[in-house]
Amino acid sequence: MQIINSITALFYKEYKIAYKNLYDILTIILFFLLGIFIFVFSIGPNEEIFQQIGIGIIWTLLLLSNNLSIKRFYQNDFKDGNLHLLHMSGMSYELIVLVKLITNWFFLQIPFFIFIPIACLMLNIQNDNIYLILLTFLIGSPILTSIASISGSLNLLNNRNIEIASIIVMLLSIPVIIFSFGIIKAPPELIKPQLSFLIGILLLFVSITPWICAACIKIAIRNS
Amino acid sequence: MIKIFINPGKFINFANFVIKPLIFISIISFIIGLIFALYVSPDDYQQGSTVRIMYIHVPSAWLAMLTFLIMTIYSIIALAFKTPFGFIVNSAVAPIGATFTFICLFTGSLWGKPMWGTWWVWDARLTSVALLFVMYLIIIFLKKTTNNINLGEKITSIFIIICSINLPIIKFSVDWWNTLHQPASISKISSPSIDPSMMKPLFIMTIFFISIGLLIAIIRIKAEILERKKII
Repeated sequence: MQIINSITALFYKEYKIAYKNLYDILTIILFFLLGIFIFVFSIGPNEEIFQQIGIGIIWTLLLLSNNLSIKRFYQNDFKDGNLHLLHMSGMSYELIVLVKLITNWFFLQIPFFIFIPIACLMLNIQNDNIYLILLTFLIGSPILTSIASISGSLNLLNNRNIEIASIIVMLLSIPVIIFSFGIIKAPPELIKPQLSFLIGILLLFVSITPWICAACIKIAIRNS
Repeated sequence: MIKIFINPGKFINFANFVIKPLIFISIISFIIGLIFALYVSPDDYQQGSTVRIMYIHVPSAWLAMLTFLIMTIYSIIALAFKTPFGFIVNSAVAPIGATFTFICLFTGSLWGKPMWGTWWVWDARLTSVALLFVMYLIIIFLKKTTNNINLGEKITSIFIIICSINLPIIKFSVDWWNTLHQPASISKISSPSIDPSMMKPLFIMTIFFISIGLLIAIIRIKAEILERKKII
């Protein structure tokens, strides 16, 4: 019973922090929308080209805006000693990572479900494809969150070269991009197998992320 | 016997013992292999003389993957049993693997221009090997991001274990997707789909690549061990 109480308390704390830093989250969304503007200016307002490459633009920008949230995961909690205190109060690191994953997915990726259709309308993408983008993003966004969490925990004590965290995120999210772009471009009979492959990647990442992140946090706490 | 591959002191003894034969083997196999590859082996009936690129391309690709496999095994051992020798091996071997991957990509693109008509195709095999190269570079950089060398090594080992998922993808990419890159010719040992006259120089060049890779690796590991002893 006590563990449930502490989990709820942790959820409440994460919610408080996210609500206080609401403008930081909105900044990430602003980055996404502004990126689409930049793409439009650099390619030129040609509707036929956008119908072909618009999906790629949207997925690229989702990945890049995921990069901005790397530091949000463990950096602050690690620096002020919160992670260690939470562990001493009886929660395992794996559980903390899992709660962090859920809250970060909720607060950082759910807002995109409102702004992706807007971006699609700005790029003249067909209605059927908008549903498919939302479906793939529903499956793909937890993968993106867990990749950002892995990269954030790998670079906990890294103050010099934080750019390498973004590179790790880009490297690991290549399969997500391949399969989610493949689903949208595929003929109707090939959608289902690719979708199940994407779900397989999701299950793999969700199952290994807590262990990897917990191992990294333990190493960082021992060496700090 | 196994302690040679885990214990640094015994490894140095083993290295001193094995270093001269390795130099000998690599020089001999290099000369014989080049003679076989450039003069004795026949031209391909379709590809002409460009088939001789294979004698460098294929062994370097094998060694690039083998190096990553060794790094994966050593990082698992080092993290599980807390032996620092695995970290030493990782940091010594990563640049060698990166070099072999670069040689593989470079010769592959030189081979692709006359045969396929392009330097580069976005094909499953080529893309996954290019990603392997990026992974090697990240492994080299990631170790040096923190001032604390202990932390950097452990983080790098975890990253290596995550990235080892790329190895089966490279191996089976030619079977899973329809690629421009041809499937493996030497997968079946009993009846390979390659002629013996071409198999022989390939075999000798593979021996050369393995021995030169092992030689550089042993020298680098030895230097790394001695440097760490100096710090302590």
